[in-house]
Amino acid sequence: MQQPGRKISGLGRARVRYLAAAFLLTALAWSQSAGDKNFVIMAPVGNVQLRAGAAKNVAMDFRIGSDYHINSHTPKSPLLIPTELKLTPPQQIAVADVKYPAGQDETFPFSPDEKLNVYSGDFSIDTLLKAPANTPPGTYPVKGELHFQACDKSACYPPRSLPIQFQVTVVK
Amino acid sequence: MRRNAVVFIALVVAVMAMLASGKYLDRARKHGPLKLVGDVHGVQAPDFTLTSLDGRKVRLSDFRGKAVLLNFWATWCPPCKVEMPWFADLQKQYGKDGLIVLGVAMDDTEPATIAKFANELGVNYQVLLGTDQVSDDYGDVQYLPTTFYIGRDGTIVDKMTGLLDRKDIEDAVKKVLNSKAQPVNGPPSQTRVAQKSNAMKTVEANEPRPEDIATPGLTDR
Repeated sequence: MQQPGRKISGLGRARVRYLAAAFLLTALAWSQSAGDKNFVIMAPVGNVQLRAGAAKNVAMDFRIGSDYHINSHTPKSPLLIPTELKLTPPQQIAVADVKYPAGQDETFPFSPDEKLNVYSGDFSIDTLLKAPANTPPGTYPVKGELHFQACDKSACYPPRSLPIQFQVTVVK
Repeated sequence: MRRNAVVFIALVVAVMAMLASGKYLDRARKHGPLKLVGDVHGVQAPDFTLTSLDGRKVRLSDFRGKAVLLNFWATWCPPCKVEMPWFADLQKQYGKDGLIVLGVAMDDTEPATIAKFANELGVNYQVLLGTDQVSDDYGDVQYLPTTFYIGRDGTIVDKMTGLLDRKDIEDAVKKVLNSKAQPVNGPPSQTRVAQKSNAMKTVEANEPRPEDIATPGLTDR
């Protein structure tokens, strides 16, 4: 049985939901803004299946925030900090090769006469993983980081490292 | 039903409060409370002693009575390169009026590399080697270039982040040159010191921030 004074109309319920959603969004936005700045995010690599004695290409996919760019792996000046992928696999797995994409030559409002070689938007780094023939079957964690330095159109941020972690399952 | 909604909202608020306090406490545990927080205008500029490129110890308070342009920069910061020749010009033009430009290099690079970089840009002012401590003291300087304009009485007259027009910089220089020096042996004047109670209002909150870039299919690691 409903009590007349406690009834919330459909419109009232909607308001409460909107209010709750607004609070949640505010909380999420706040937690983002107060924490580390996420200039670059990474798509999940998933579980990589690798046959013992074989090699496999694994792409690492990244996305840079829309207002930002990072130096490519080969910036035009030795003073600029290059983007670098560092993987530290266990001894049963080897990183045979890392291929960086070419950067784009771009000018920015802060240096209209100087082109910088940068990544912006989405980019992928291709890695070649190998497991020796004698690698016991099993799952091996691979850790690493993407080291980069981001700027926007008027300023730059100190270098950052994005942690990377995925698993490689070696099968016979 | 209404009670459930109120409880839910209270829970959300509590979570926000915990997030806020957690972030602050975590930061405070690592670095100590920020000294320069919130609105820094009129706040006493934190004193520091830093090493110059030629190995001398330079203390900010030694320049009391002068107008100080304190510029945080780095060799890996292309926008910083644009401002530095302007600062050199301003030092030349307004040095006789009491302007002191100090560059604080927030690099991990060798001093010789920093010196070469500065020389190539025609820097004629003192460049000091930055430290995490001075960055923290000035509100965790994470956005380069960041420039503080410190009045003759040692208080902050202006703070500017990011690359601006030369005119904006020169206007700020003129403003800081017009600041009044504190009378010798006088009272602490009208300066104020950033209080711990301001600590939740970080300088970062006033600065541009990356957008959230959460995108379906991509996760933040």
